[in-house]
Amino acid sequence: MTFLVTWLLTMLLITVPFPSAAALLLPHWGLLFVVWWALMRNYRLSMTLLMVASIPMDVAYGTALGLHALIFALLAYLLTLLGPRVRQVNWLRQSVVVFLVLLLAAAASYWGRTLTGQNPEFLLLVLQAFFTALAWTPVRFVFEWLAHLTGEPEVRTS
Amino acid sequence: MRPLFSQTSVAAVRLMIAATFSVAIMVVDVRFDALHSVRFGIKTLLWPIEQISALPSVTAAHVGDWLVGHSRLVERLESLSLDNERLRTEQLKLQTLRAENSELRRLLSVRERVNERLLQAQIQRLSNDPFVHRATINRGQLAGVSVGQPVLSADGLVGQVVMVYPHASDVLLMTDSTHQLPVQVTRTRVRSIAMGTGRLDRLELRNLPDTVDIVVGDLIETSGLGGRFQPGIPVAYVTEVIRSPGQPFVRVVAEPVAPLSRLSLLMVDVSERGGL
Repeated sequence: MTFLVTWLLTMLLITVPFPSAAALLLPHWGLLFVVWWALMRNYRLSMTLLMVASIPMDVAYGTALGLHALIFALLAYLLTLLGPRVRQVNWLRQSVVVFLVLLLAAAASYWGRTLTGQNPEFLLLVLQAFFTALAWTPVRFVFEWLAHLTGEPEVRTS
Repeated sequence: MRPLFSQTSVAAVRLMIAATFSVAIMVVDVRFDALHSVRFGIKTLLWPIEQISALPSVTAAHVGDWLVGHSRLVERLESLSLDNERLRTEQLKLQTLRAENSELRRLLSVRERVNERLLQAQIQRLSNDPFVHRATINRGQLAGVSVGQPVLSADGLVGQVVMVYPHASDVLLMTDSTHQLPVQVTRTRVRSIAMGTGRLDRLELRNLPDTVDIVVGDLIETSGLGGRFQPGIPVAYVTEVIRSPGQPFVRVVAEPVAPLSRLSLLMVDVSERGGL
């Protein structure tokens, strides 16, 4: 239930119409969705579910199908390994770790986009990772609140 | 649900499997173009979510109109501006047609052109991915839109329809880095391919010979080659001609005639020749 609710919220945020200039300043809501699940509730997440959830995001963003699945898989792998330690640090350090992991995801995104014929600028992907990491703390609290509403057991953090 | 990664080695294996599967899907989607029906189905399912997410902006627009306090006036203004956009587009085409007509008369072989039918449409949303230049418009299959039809603004070409749903369509803007467009320079009739660069204000013409007659300010229009777009639709103005010493080719940078970052109203060419 929590997965569905957080996914729906993510899809709503992804499909909100914004001016084209704002796209550079927007966090990547899909990445935040994965970060929260892989970091805070990794014991409740399955790879198959994650991949299925990523395909509508490809459609909503207009990217090649499978691009987000690739990024999400890498992100989930890295964050699950780091999870127990990262959960215990304060929000600022968490955001820094999230930013660093998102940089690796940006590299995967760059590679995937180039493979599909796009011509991305890596610096813009870095910028997007920065804004995504910046949005991590508020999004984390919103997702925790949603998890609480849907009866998801809490995970102890700092 | 099972835990995602119980052991590091298992995790690595799962990552490899997921990555391989993802890349396979990407290749099938992009290289073989075989997942149109999947995209169509998912987009149709996402339609209610898109409508809900658009509610704040739609509501804000309505509140703005209400605050003006002259709803009839607003409606009239909207109707007139739509007509104005259409007429401006037709005027642009008429200029090209006039030039073509005189050329044909000179050759003593006048041929009747296919009637154009323009369908007014409004942009619902642009992709929030900064590297994807796609717009969703509020006209779809039920309004007669089909894949491949050119999309115009009052100033010139915007892009083409790439996906059609019952009530909406996806338009690939010509500046998307995966878009290529056969064009010609209006003044000299030099033909080339305008390539999207991933920036809304920039197109590039590559592999033109160093001796080509092209200068800053030249208008670039569709050449009609490829059969998808009618010839003579304004595309861009040349803003930079980069000649590198020792290189056999020149690189030309152009700015789209249509203000792609500020578009709201569009026209879809739904005439027979407009689509594939």
